[in-house]
Amino acid sequence: MDVYDYKELWPILLLGVAFFVVTVVVLFWSARKGHLRNFDAQAKTIFTEEEPEGEVSDTFPESRKLSRSRKDRK
Amino acid sequence: MSDTSQLISPSSNPYSSEHASVRAELSEIDASIRTASVFFVVSAIGWLMIGTVFALMAAFKAHQPDFLGAYDFLTFGRVRSAHLNAMALGWGNNIIFAVGLWIMARLCRSPIQHKGLLLIAGVFWNIGLTVGIVGILRGDMTSVEWLEIPQYATPMLVVAYALIAVWGIMAFRFRKGEHVYVSQWYILAGLFWFPWLYVVAQAVIIWFPARGVVQSVANWWFAHNVLGLWLTPMALATAYYLIPKVLGRPIYSYYLSVLGFWALAIFYNWAGVHHLIGGPIPVWLISAGIVASIMMVIPVIVVAINHHMTVVGLHREVWRSPTLRFIVFGAISYTLVSLIGSTMALRSVSEVTHFTHFTIGHAHHGVYAFFTMIMFGGVYYMMPRLLKREWPSAGLIKLHFWGCALGITVMVVALQTGGWIQGMEMNNPEIPFLEVVQNTIPWLKARSVSGIFLTVGHIAFAVNFFWMLFAAGAVRAKQEPTLLTREGGVA
Repeated sequence: MDVYDYKELWPILLLGVAFFVVTVVVLFWSARKGHLRNFDAQAKTIFTEEEPEGEVSDTFPESRKLSRSRKDRK
Repeated sequence: MSDTSQLISPSSNPYSSEHASVRAELSEIDASIRTASVFFVVSAIGWLMIGTVFALMAAFKAHQPDFLGAYDFLTFGRVRSAHLNAMALGWGNNIIFAVGLWIMARLCRSPIQHKGLLLIAGVFWNIGLTVGIVGILRGDMTSVEWLEIPQYATPMLVVAYALIAVWGIMAFRFRKGEHVYVSQWYILAGLFWFPWLYVVAQAVIIWFPARGVVQSVANWWFAHNVLGLWLTPMALATAYYLIPKVLGRPIYSYYLSVLGFWALAIFYNWAGVHHLIGGPIPVWLISAGIVASIMMVIPVIVVAINHHMTVVGLHREVWRSPTLRFIVFGAISYTLVSLIGSTMALRSVSEVTHFTHFTIGHAHHGVYAFFTMIMFGGVYYMMPRLLKREWPSAGLIKLHFWGCALGITVMVVALQTGGWIQGMEMNNPEIPFLEVVQNTIPWLKARSVSGIFLTVGHIAFAVNFFWMLFAAGAVRAKQEPTLLTREGGVA
């Protein structure tokens, strides 16, 4: 590929660089906003009163029957 | 893991705020997005079934070329392209719009606004896609892999997508609280990345075509990134939300999850060029792609460790959950397919796998075993909460899981084993090409058998879904829902 043809790749390369720059800028923004601190606390924010931590919230119907009958026996 | 001294303050955490104006109930959010999500799931299942029919046709034609050979609109090239676009843009995008936007709304703690706009955009997306698929079958498709939709159908797709993505971004913009969970990062990034990829690829290849070599670079930059920067973030967002949610246990290391996201965001964009190893483009460009592909091992291992450590000790709960059966299968597949993909990017390996069925097996490993299985899991969790109904048949869920799990495993093993043998034989000049082709036939027949397994799974899924949707009275009569239940009642 000669020098002239080489320039044909510039749009793709510039897009790649732009993509990279945008990513780094957003990473910087998230750090400034404090999203890279208090990781353990952030992991718990998906739990609510309706769907609390410590409770399995999805089972096959027969699995639930089985676990209940075990509880009843105890 | 817990450190109460570092907990987010209740005032800034909308999940536990004492103020009703700040705290939005999940059930309220679910109700607000119900119509749009159900529409997208119905559309997704429709395209899944259509794509499955095209897939079976293409699979049988691969070892029996005269099958349906009398109809020009059912020739292999058209049917195969119709299958790809029906699955990627029909099933894939619609299910992302359903599950991804639902998760985004929940994490933003904000009931959706302008739901009619979202619905209209969805209708236009599916009309545009229908026009595109019919165009492919009519013979109007482009010759560019992953961008076969005819030029006249793409503007409608772009406009419809823009409306849907803007809705997702607006939900994020007006979220309650400052916190951004890792799933939101993935979804938000995916909503930006996909239009960037699609519009740039359309512009450089279709609307204002650059020279051939640049087109090929743009083509594989787009095609590879559709998987890595669109389907992957959405599937990982779903896994990162639902694995801890179902188990009631926070993700093992939130730090690792954030690290994984940023590593994906920074490295993946460069990786697609490895599809052109040996092609007429600058060697350094390919080398950059190979380096990026190997660097992808970092986020993949990070995700694998995080998911594994989150479920460790709770494997029985995983097996008992319809949602997690699919999601954990998908998460394991993500690790495998990504490590295999990084290996395929090496020049010495690509010499064998390039131009063989190994690549087809790899694509299905990623799009189906990873992405699609996780999205199935997402639907199993989401629908009972949207409709306030249980899934009518646990048997159909199991049939769905086993049909899909066995089917995709057989397909990937058959295509990658057969593909590797095919590549070794093609590199041996003493073996005639026709003999190489004939030797692939048993593996292609195995692929067709795997397609039958997958079809059975898809039919079970569709029957269960529409039974749940339309036979409301019969479904409500059940007593043990696959809904979250604290004291046995429906949430």
